[in-house]
Amino acid sequence: MTVLLGRRVLLVEDESLVAMLAEDMLLDLGCEVAIAMRLNRAIDLVRSEAFDLAVLDVNLGDAHSYPVADLLFERGTPFLFATGYGQQGLEGTYRGVPVLQKPYQAEPLEHLLARLLTGGMPLREGGTGLPPPCRCQDTQAGGNRFRADQVL
Amino acid sequence: MPNSRQPLQSKAAANTPLESLRRGSGQLFETERRLNAVLNNASVSIFLMDDRQHCIYMNRAAETLTGWTLAEVLARDCPLHDIVHHTYPDGRPFPLEECAIDRAFPENNQERGEEVFVHRDGHFFPVGFTASPIRDDAANIIGTIIEVRDISEEKAAAERQRLLINELNHRVKNTLATVQSIAAQTFRGQTEQAVRAVFDARMAALSNAHNVLVEDNWESASLFQVIERALAPHLLAEVDVNRFRLEGPDARLHPKVAVTLAMALHELMTNAAKYGALSVPEGQVAVTWSLHDVDEGRQQLDLSWEERGGPAVAPPTRKGFGSRLIERQLPMEFDGAAVITYAPTGVTCRLEIPLTTLGWVGQEAVEGRRAP
Repeated sequence: MTVLLGRRVLLVEDESLVAMLAEDMLLDLGCEVAIAMRLNRAIDLVRSEAFDLAVLDVNLGDAHSYPVADLLFERGTPFLFATGYGQQGLEGTYRGVPVLQKPYQAEPLEHLLARLLTGGMPLREGGTGLPPPCRCQDTQAGGNRFRADQVL
Repeated sequence: MPNSRQPLQSKAAANTPLESLRRGSGQLFETERRLNAVLNNASVSIFLMDDRQHCIYMNRAAETLTGWTLAEVLARDCPLHDIVHHTYPDGRPFPLEECAIDRAFPENNQERGEEVFVHRDGHFFPVGFTASPIRDDAANIIGTIIEVRDISEEKAAAERQRLLINELNHRVKNTLATVQSIAAQTFRGQTEQAVRAVFDARMAALSNAHNVLVEDNWESASLFQVIERALAPHLLAEVDVNRFRLEGPDARLHPKVAVTLAMALHELMTNAAKYGALSVPEGQVAVTWSLHDVDEGRQQLDLSWEERGGPAVAPPTRKGFGSRLIERQLPMEFDGAAVITYAPTGVTCRLEIPLTTLGWVGQEAVEGRRAP
């Protein structure tokens, strides 16, 4: 608990009721929580604010949260994915990221977040250990959705 | 109209496909060769019919589809119906007079439909057809061209999807019921009955919202039905018209909007029943809404909840689940706005929800890209 006390955590979760639960758990762990329920809001937050940790729901209804993951890789912010599908549900390049199996539970959440803080950044699968340059800007400039895994 | 029809070709002339074209120059011959190449390479079946519904030409795909060769069909000298469409799938004979394709002898181009044909070996198969009239120089209809596709696989895929959706409905409902049971077992004797009742009512509201989604295969929900279901006292009851005034146009809601809106309305209703207009016999609630365009193709729902005739309202001392869901989560989830006002005359709530475009991530990959 102590290692998480006062940490700023970005929570990306698109379902209202589920977001309320995850927020309460993070607050109970002593974290400061910023919630984004939509992809563009999450990207704005990561660009404009500093976070110690992030919890990303993978499926945001009409989009995946991978562009947020790319930004977090670039900034060196440790994060985990929360998903009902488990590690197999992730796209290839993100399989090195720890997965919190949904439904949210306080103990595994605390355990994984603490490990992220002490153990450092998750690695991209097959990566060099260095985060690749972020290409998220391409999304807005070109209009086409950029998918990191297709380029790498 | 039948009187004005002229035979497309005499039987003798029809013995070879497009043979009449052979008369004349080598250029015509070349045209015929190209047409035959096109027709016989086509994977769709093409039938050319005269005004008596006799088939006078069919391409190779049509031969494969029906099991009959063109020569055999010509030799039968009878309507095509009697060769490929003579029996209903239940085994009853299917006379020509009852045939939709025959009756729909097309006046217009590209008339479409679905039928069940009989293969030469006796098995039935579903087909989709497109029919257009062939006209002579004086615009009299002298025949029909029919394009036919075997749609067995599409039908099977649709059936698989129907079964999967049934299974999905079943599992979601079962999971909700399981959660309810786990809660009941876990909190037995540990919590007040009143708290359990609140929990059960919220589970029921969630379940009701899913019922509305099931009706349109989880693609969307009717706004009006979502509101009606949320405001009805229980699953089998209607909205009490003496208590509620509902006014606004219907719209198709994205499943996420439907579920969150249903939960928000449930919380407003619960609050009204406990402290507000619905806690006294004469209190009433007006739920009115409108839609307006925000940007290209997207609409915004503006919904208003107004209570009157209830006891004097005092702002709550503590904000609970309902106001957190409505005032904080709902605007974040949909990029909208929500305000609850605790006016002394009655609680009002105004929601502004930009309607999410229907669809979900990965839908195109699953269903194939839709034609633009």
